[in-house]
Amino acid sequence: MNAEILSVTGLTRIFGGLTAVRDVNMTVHAGEVVGLIGPNGAGKTTLFNMLGGSLPPSSGRIRFDGADCTGEPSHVMGQRGVSRTFQITSVFPSLSALDNVRSAAYRTTKAGWGASVFRTAAYRREEADLHRRSMETLAFCDLDHRADILADALSYGEQRRLEIAIALAAQPRLLLLDEPAAGMNPEEGQRLVEMIRRIRASGVTVLLVEHHMRVVAAVCDRLFVLDHGVKIAEGPPAQVLNDPEVIRVYLGRETVDA
Amino acid sequence: MNAKHISLAGGVLLLGILPFLAGNAYLEHLLVLWMLYALLALSLNIIIGYLGELSFGHAAFVGVGAYTSAILSTQLGLPPLIGLPLAGLVAALFGLVIGYAALRVVGPQFAILTLGFGSILYTVTNHWVDVTRGPMGISNIPPLSLGPVTFTDARETYYLVLGLVLVVAFLCHALVNSRTGRAFIAVRENAPLAASLGVNVFHTKLLGFVVATAIAGVGGAIYAHYIKVITPDIMGVHNVAALIIVVVVGGRGTIVGPILGALVYIGLLESLRVAGPLRMVVFAALLTGTVVFLPGGLVSLWQRWRGNHKAENNATATTAPTTLPNAEGGAK
Repeated sequence: MNAEILSVTGLTRIFGGLTAVRDVNMTVHAGEVVGLIGPNGAGKTTLFNMLGGSLPPSSGRIRFDGADCTGEPSHVMGQRGVSRTFQITSVFPSLSALDNVRSAAYRTTKAGWGASVFRTAAYRREEADLHRRSMETLAFCDLDHRADILADALSYGEQRRLEIAIALAAQPRLLLLDEPAAGMNPEEGQRLVEMIRRIRASGVTVLLVEHHMRVVAAVCDRLFVLDHGVKIAEGPPAQVLNDPEVIRVYLGRETVDA
Repeated sequence: MNAKHISLAGGVLLLGILPFLAGNAYLEHLLVLWMLYALLALSLNIIIGYLGELSFGHAAFVGVGAYTSAILSTQLGLPPLIGLPLAGLVAALFGLVIGYAALRVVGPQFAILTLGFGSILYTVTNHWVDVTRGPMGISNIPPLSLGPVTFTDARETYYLVLGLVLVVAFLCHALVNSRTGRAFIAVRENAPLAASLGVNVFHTKLLGFVVATAIAGVGGAIYAHYIKVITPDIMGVHNVAALIIVVVVGGRGTIVGPILGALVYIGLLESLRVAGPLRMVVFAALLTGTVVFLPGGLVSLWQRWRGNHKAENNATATTAPTTLPNAEGGAK
């Protein structure tokens, strides 16, 4: 087993009288794809927001890559190498797909305003490199033929892929995907599964919240199940998805609904 | 790319010979005003166009720069050309303090806070008679000079401000093509996403705000030394509106836009002189009409024309699909 990249201990978040996440412990190892599932309102997105730094935890600790980063703001987590996508499609709407990805490389570029004014050699090298890398990232997400199209004008499925391209452009160590398959048809879902496998193959650890069991079962090495903010199960998908308790709180209801 | 460079060189050349084409002092004076407004609008454009926040306080920073340089040269006898960078520095300090407080909030709240800070500066200037001479203003401000270098008449001032406009335009061009500028625009487009990518949203905005206020201060100082008289009106709501109109009508987030908008503003201001106070009604209509019919400003006409032109030339060009995002609905 690889070294652990993310470890969460006793993480709790309270909103007024509501405990959205209660005393959650979890570990993610480098190179894994880990799924976080649970019914609506289970606290998955709240947990994600705490990991991404956009929401400070009420108590508990978050360690990323050996360093304690509990309560650090979003941009510090971003700088540390935690990238995320959002549940509601979140791109830079009035920029082209290519500029979306270029803007996202903030963490991995250095040449700022001054270098740009004086057109230094380092600046020119970095810009050329950035362009090449951005096109590669777009190609990775199958968007290279749409590079010059405004993000706003892309189809829904393309926008969701662009979100992943944006997150990958930051060259993260850990990628948090919040319901990447939401609203996708089965064919797009299959494409997403392949994309997540390629992301893992490139060495990025993935933690994803997802409702599509087919996607979860296809890509995840391990699953965590949350219900009412409490972790109720963890383990390999085959085991977790057959756990009677998990079926009762989550899958059972989904089946009845469907 | 090459055609772009040629049209750029042509444009700069045209700006360079304009005073000779003007032929009379009045038109040369208007050219100076055009360039001054272009400079101020370019600075405000950093806030409105790149950071995506609306500031109602920009005229106050113009005033801070103008009063700083005016007081330094009339009271302390400092050579005005030395007062110029000091004016920028003082305006930037005001920008730092006000931005540090106001940039904690976004959108309408930020706009209202800047309006408040602007009004405070205006009121203080109007009533602190010992320093600013109050509503009487400061007169007999010496022209810009340092030793043998002087900018006394309109033509000399025009070239000075034109030079500054070109420098600031290049700085803006370099900005949007750098990591820093891309962070500005990322913050404008989607602040939470920008933060998740490692951009410190507050510091990024503060940097843009301070740079913009510094340029506004320098512009204000040049104005003071050129017109030779300043009153608190320079910080008034009229000037606030004028700067916003110039940026929005010209085209926010572009470099040519604010320069073009300044030309339209100064041109209309003068040609509508016969209309008296009705001028402001015309400007209000112009602003409203632009926001409704041409949200990208005047430059978007050119972009639109070029887009059509390209589509005609290139029949196989892929047109943007009309698929609305989210058409497939949320999830589950």
